[in-house]
Amino acid sequence: MFRDSTRSRLVLLVLVVVCVALLVLDTRPGPDPLTTAGRAAGELVFAPAAAGAGWAGGPAASLYEGLRRGPEAVERVGELEEANAALESELQAARLDEARAAQLEDLLHLSGLGGYEIVPAQAVTRTTSRGYAHAVTLDVGTGSGVRTDMTVVNGDGLVGRVVEAGPRTSTVLLATDATSAVGARLAETRKIGVVNGGSVPGGAESELAFELFDMEAPVESGDRVVTLGSHEGAPFVPGVPVGTVRDVQVSPGALSRLARIDPAVDFAALDVVGVVVAGPAEDPRDSVLPPEPDPEEDQ
Amino acid sequence: MRAVATVVLVTVAVLVQAVVVQRLPLPWGPGPDLVVAAVAAVALTARPATAAGYGFAAGLAMDLLPPAEHAVGRYALVLCLVAYTAALLRTNTGAQGAVGLRTGLPAVVGATASAALAVGLCYAAVGFVMGDPRVALGAVAVNTGLSTLLTALAAPVVTLPLVRLRDALADSDFATVQGPTSPVGW
Repeated sequence: MFRDSTRSRLVLLVLVVVCVALLVLDTRPGPDPLTTAGRAAGELVFAPAAAGAGWAGGPAASLYEGLRRGPEAVERVGELEEANAALESELQAARLDEARAAQLEDLLHLSGLGGYEIVPAQAVTRTTSRGYAHAVTLDVGTGSGVRTDMTVVNGDGLVGRVVEAGPRTSTVLLATDATSAVGARLAETRKIGVVNGGSVPGGAESELAFELFDMEAPVESGDRVVTLGSHEGAPFVPGVPVGTVRDVQVSPGALSRLARIDPAVDFAALDVVGVVVAGPAEDPRDSVLPPEPDPEEDQ
Repeated sequence: MRAVATVVLVTVAVLVQAVVVQRLPLPWGPGPDLVVAAVAAVALTARPATAAGYGFAAGLAMDLLPPAEHAVGRYALVLCLVAYTAALLRTNTGAQGAVGLRTGLPAVVGATASAALAVGLCYAAVGFVMGDPRVALGAVAVNTGLSTLLTALAAPVVTLPLVRLRDALADSDFATVQGPTSPVGW
């Protein structure tokens, strides 16, 4: 069943050895010239193709956006049906552009509040080939001043950090990735902890989990979490909203307290984001957070 | 002619996967893997060494294209091994009785789904050996299951036309699949 010629086996052996050699080279700490050159070559093909797909995919994206918002807007379908088909598609395209403009405006607002200097970018891939890593590709690279270990935000809050920057594209590890850990603090009480992507071992299933180091610190659902900020603003600048505490877990005997976090950012619908190329001169503290929501408004 | 057409179509599959499929904001994670679908078509119609070569090249391209979230060589290793094994099984078991017979749709979909399942499990296994903290049992089950299902759904539009094309181009220069155990009769 597995019989094969020697030559064929030799070919397989050579290919496997090459793969393993590449794996070893690339997983060693520090950049490797061979794989860096390979990635730059890949990017050379990818960047124009992605730009072309973005240009050609405009109508498709507006269609998708329309479908995604469909269930919420059933009553609006009646109104829209009155308009003729050409007008309708024009309207949808306009709405998508409007949504982008609104996202950019939010981004500008957030960067203005925090004193961050940002480079706007667009996500050109949103899923990875096998679905394990939560990473996206942005259409800006070192040519626009993006370097590795820079904070990525959007109008709502923290998106992640840059892990790989090529000349024209860069890879962002999202805050929800299992390997992501962000130094964070509670908004008012300034108690510090770490926001981990995915679920912490022993914790409940969630997108983000906040590990609070102080067992005595008061924390309850609705408390808001912002980034603590790292040394010289790399990889995380201070004051970016991360999310809201959903519930706190009491685990007897544990050395820290766990809280599930509702992310401030909608990671399923990332589009316009900003890479923070220069952090604020001083910690913006809680000024970037949106005003406290009025509880009566939700009723 | 056959090789040129295959190289072009596999390249197109890799680019469409990287630029279009991975751009879709799918809420559940992985999309259909068109690269596996294309390589499966090659594995169904080529000798094991050729299939391994195509698998290696396509996998390496996916490793090098953004996003750079996994080590270079990981996908190339997995695709190379799976393509080789699929082609070996095909040459040594399926081909004898099937000389002159065309591979049917269920066989193509089944082979693509098996290849996708094997790729998913091998990719997770390589991640486990390399100590990737993302490889947990639940994540592997969900990602592999979804990816296999979606790739099987993509098989009739990606794998089947490519198999038919390679069969059609092979007929002109009588280069049917030949294994080490040569088929009985003519």
